[in-house]
Amino acid sequence: MFAVEAKNLKKTFKSKDGDVEAVKDVSFHVNEGEIFSILGPNGAGKSTTILMLTTLLRVTSGKGSILGLDVEKEDKRVREKIGIALQDTGLDNLLTGRELFFTTARLWGFTKQDAETRTSELLELVGLNEAADRRVKTYSGGMKRRLDLGLSLVHKPEVLFLDEPTTGLDPGSRRVLWDEIKRLREDGVTIILTTQYLEEADELADRISIIDNGLVVAEGTPDELKAQIGGDVITFIFNNYEDSKTAKDLILNSEIEGNELRVAVENGAEKIPDLLRKLSEKNLEVTSVSASKPSLDDVFLQVTGYRLEGASDQEVDSEEELSEYE
Amino acid sequence: MNNQSAPFFLQLGILTKRLLLRLARRPLAELPNVFISAFFLLIYDGALGGVFGGSAAGTPFDFANGNFLNFILPVSIVSASVSGGASGIYLVEDIESGVFKRYQGMPISKWAIILAPIAVGAIRVLLQATLIMTLGNFIGADPATGNSGYFAVLAMAFFWGMGFAGYSVAAGVRSGSSQGAQAATFLFFPALFLAPTFTPRYALKGWLESAAAYNPTTYVLEGMRAIMIEGWVLDDILKGFLVAGGFAFITLTFAVFSARTATEKS
Repeated sequence: MFAVEAKNLKKTFKSKDGDVEAVKDVSFHVNEGEIFSILGPNGAGKSTTILMLTTLLRVTSGKGSILGLDVEKEDKRVREKIGIALQDTGLDNLLTGRELFFTTARLWGFTKQDAETRTSELLELVGLNEAADRRVKTYSGGMKRRLDLGLSLVHKPEVLFLDEPTTGLDPGSRRVLWDEIKRLREDGVTIILTTQYLEEADELADRISIIDNGLVVAEGTPDELKAQIGGDVITFIFNNYEDSKTAKDLILNSEIEGNELRVAVENGAEKIPDLLRKLSEKNLEVTSVSASKPSLDDVFLQVTGYRLEGASDQEVDSEEELSEYE
Repeated sequence: MNNQSAPFFLQLGILTKRLLLRLARRPLAELPNVFISAFFLLIYDGALGGVFGGSAAGTPFDFANGNFLNFILPVSIVSASVSGGASGIYLVEDIESGVFKRYQGMPISKWAIILAPIAVGAIRVLLQATLIMTLGNFIGADPATGNSGYFAVLAMAFFWGMGFAGYSVAAGVRSGSSQGAQAATFLFFPALFLAPTFTPRYALKGWLESAAAYNPTTYVLEGMRAIMIEGWVLDDILKGFLVAGGFAFITLTFAVFSARTATEKS
C-alpha cells in the first residue's frame, strides 16, 4: 500500500469563459516515509492537486487515496490521517502561538492536560518557545511558517502535505524549515511537498514529480532525473543574443537563454574543443565556457522547454528577516 | 497519532472560546455599539423625559405611566441587540484569513464552525443588552413586572439579536466580505425608525402608522414596553416573542442554508 496515490487525477473549474482544466492528468505514488516533491511553476496545477488529495477540493475524475483511503468517499478518515500546511491557510493573528497549539490540540480531542503537553512539545519542536506567549501578528514570516508547520503536526499525522512551505522566506528561515522537514522524515512521516524552488526539491526530496500545465512531465529521484540528461552540460556564454542564436543552429539539441547556450553531452571535457572550433569557424565569439554535471534546472529545461522562473531566486523580505532576528 | 476529534459540543465550545478571546483582544471594536445605545438612552430621556414623563400625568402624552425611561429603554435595548450582527463579520474574517480553510482540513463539524460565531453573537447581545438595562435601572427605570421583567426583556432582545446574527452570517457568506456582513446594521436603522420609537403607535401619522404595522420591530418594542409599563400583558408580550423568535428562526435557517452551500467542496 502506498502512503499517497494519485491515479489520473483531473480537475476542471467552470467559469464564465468556459471550462478551465487546472489539472489534466496527474498520476504518481508516494511510498511511506518518503519526501516526495511536486515541482512546477505557478499555475502548473501543484496546489490544485494537493487540495484534491487533502479532501478540500472535489475530484473531477480519477482517483486519489491516502494510506488506502479514498479521498472522495472516506474524506473524514483521510483528514484524520493527514496534516496540512497550505499556502493560504490562515493563522489567527490575535491569539498567541501557545493558544493556537492548545486550541488545535483540543479540537483534535486531546484532554486539557494532554493538550498542554503537546503544546509544549510542539513549541519546542518548531523553535517558538520564546515567542509562545506573543500574539501571532508580531511573528515574522519564518516564524509563522514554523507555527503553521507545527499546527499541522498536532495530531501526529502519518502523511504531511506542505504546499510551498518556504515561498517568500529568506534563506536563513528556509534552511531552518528544511531541517525541520528532514527531521520529520526521520520520525517516519511521509511528506508531500510542492515547491517552485529547484534547490529545495534537490535538497529535500527522495523523489520528484515535475508538473507542467496540469500534466506530469517527468518523475524520478533527483539523480535519475539528472541522469536522463546525459553526462555533462556545457555552457557557452556569448557577447550577444544574435551569436547565441546562430550557435544554436550549429549545435544539435542545444537550448539558449539570452546570451547563454547549454548543451548536454556524454563527455564535456572531450567535446568542448570540437564545439569551440565549430563556433570559431563561424566567427562566433565565446566569452566563457564551462562544463558541469546536470542540475535539476537542466532537467526542467529539457522536459518543459523553459526555465523555472525565479528558480534560484531567494526572495527575501527584509522586514520579516529583521523582525525575526532582532 | 491522535485521530479522535473532539465531540460536537466540545468543538463548538472550543471554537466559541477562541472567538471570545479574539473579542477580548480588541475591546475597542465592541464599544461603539454599546456606547451609542447608552448615549441615546441618556439623550432621549434627557430631551423627551421632561415632556412625556411625570409632568405629562393626566394628559394624552402620558403614555409611560409617568416614567418615560420605561418607554424609551426598549429602544436602546433593541439598538444594543443589533450587536448580534457581528456574527457574520467573525465568520467572514475567518474565511478571509484562511482560518476557516484550516478547520475544513480537520475532521471537525462544519456546523460547529458556523455556529460558533453565532454563539458569540448571542453572548455579545446578552452582555450589551444587560449593560443597557443596568444603566436604565440605575437612572430610574422600574419595570411594572418587577425585576423579573428584565429577564423577559433580555430574552426578547436575545431572539431579536439572533435574528440579526443570522442575517449577517447569511449576508457575509453570500457576499464573501465583511462589508456584506455589516449590511445587517443598514437594515436596522430604517427598521428602528419606521416603528413607534418615540411615541405609541396610535400617535403616529397615517403613513408611518401603516409602515409600523408591517415592521416587526414594532411588535418587539411593544412587547418590551408592555413588560416595562403595563405588567404581564400576555397578548403584547407573546406577539413580541413570536416576532423576535420568528425573525431569529427565519434568518438562522437562511444562514445555515447559505453557510452549507458556501462550505461545500467545489
